[in-house]
Amino acid sequence: MLAAGGCKNEEAKPAENPTGAVFADFAKRVDAYMKVRKTLVDSVGELDPTRSQAEITTRATKLASSIIAARAQAKPGDIFTPEFSALVATLIKQEYSRRPDSVQETREDQQDELPDFVPKVNTLYPTTYPLATFPATLLPLLPPLPEQLEYRVVQNYLVLRDIEANVILDVMPNAVPS
Amino acid sequence: MRSRFGAAIIAVALAAAPLGAQVYLPMKSGSVRFLVLGDAGTGGREQYEVANQMVRYGKTFPFTFAIMLGDNIYGSERPQDFDRKFTRPYKTLLDKGIEFDAALGNHDDPNQRFYKPFNLGGNRYRTFKKGNVRFFVIDSNYLDPEQLKWLDKELAASGSDWKIAYFHHPLYTTARRGPEVEVRAVLEPLFVKYGVDVVFSGHEHIYERYKPQKGIYYFTVGGAAKLRRGDTHPSPLLSARFDRDRSFLLAEIAGDSLYFQTVSRIGAVVDKGVLARRGVRP
Repeated sequence: MLAAGGCKNEEAKPAENPTGAVFADFAKRVDAYMKVRKTLVDSVGELDPTRSQAEITTRATKLASSIIAARAQAKPGDIFTPEFSALVATLIKQEYSRRPDSVQETREDQQDELPDFVPKVNTLYPTTYPLATFPATLLPLLPPLPEQLEYRVVQNYLVLRDIEANVILDVMPNAVPS
Repeated sequence: MRSRFGAAIIAVALAAAPLGAQVYLPMKSGSVRFLVLGDAGTGGREQYEVANQMVRYGKTFPFTFAIMLGDNIYGSERPQDFDRKFTRPYKTLLDKGIEFDAALGNHDDPNQRFYKPFNLGGNRYRTFKKGNVRFFVIDSNYLDPEQLKWLDKELAASGSDWKIAYFHHPLYTTARRGPEVEVRAVLEPLFVKYGVDVVFSGHEHIYERYKPQKGIYYFTVGGAAKLRRGDTHPSPLLSARFDRDRSFLLAEIAGDSLYFQTVSRIGAVVDKGVLARRGVRP
């Protein structure tokens, strides 16, 4: 019964999990970055606890310069693809819609320490600015990251940041409802 | 509603600066003695003045370590900033071998975890033990599932020790920005489940002590350099509050009792008391 079966077989296939596919693609992109990062870390060296802040600063600066140079062609959407962005924006919107007003007010108050700046891919997060607390109830909804990376919210952007190098790897505008 | 004259301390009236350090702590043999300071790293005159009081009180009340509640270094974090905002103001304490155990605040570069004098050992969160007290240092800036899993495991394993958690963002405060309810939503259930006794936080540049909330005592000690004058407000949930000057807290744990006193920049004692741990409270 294969005559028109191509169609029938496709209909019979279990529906794919679109979220899983999008997150899997995101994980691949993160892995690709981590491979590049590893070679750069190998060249500047791992950082162990030290009494010398100069050593920490020098190493962070070297790692940041190497990452920025290695990703000179990086642009918004390379890691946060349009598919990923659409999905995550929906998840965030849904999570925010369930929040009581008091939670949302706290969030807005916490953002008031952040200067009005636009995060840009492959640049340093301004070193004198505070890092806004990431909404704790939102983190479990997002794909996990290697310990060297983190998400941050800046104004209404979702930002992917290399922690040790302080480099913004990707940005997602309009990710967070105003 | 804000008081016309700004907030006044409830528990203890403001006193003039004493000539000698007035220590109300029992200094029992074998007790755990420590200093609590938050939001200290400005490098400004007030930070140094508060640090001088810490030294002064330390002569009478010899504490052995200090817990830092985040915002350890404000602004730029160049080597000279660490000098001006940490090693110089606390030089006398550091020279005496006082250990500083830092938590990270929202103004802190997470790379501070590599700075040995902060004792984070390269981690954003950690636990350590002093005598019969288990401390949980939490990174409230970024409560990822991995950290919460770690906290659950460590709290479960902590047995009958005193359990003290500290981190930057207050779960309860009357300050203008309000409590961190999102952080509370994920941390408080764990604290309640495993019987955390006391929580110290900073972030708000004031001093507040809450009546037990779900059995837990909450302190905000966020004024070791910065001050938001008039930013604590009357509440039936509060036992004490102070927002007229900078402050820090001295603590001593002996057996089932935690003794504390809070000291202002001019050396006045603005709050003091004793708390019983869970299980032995009346």
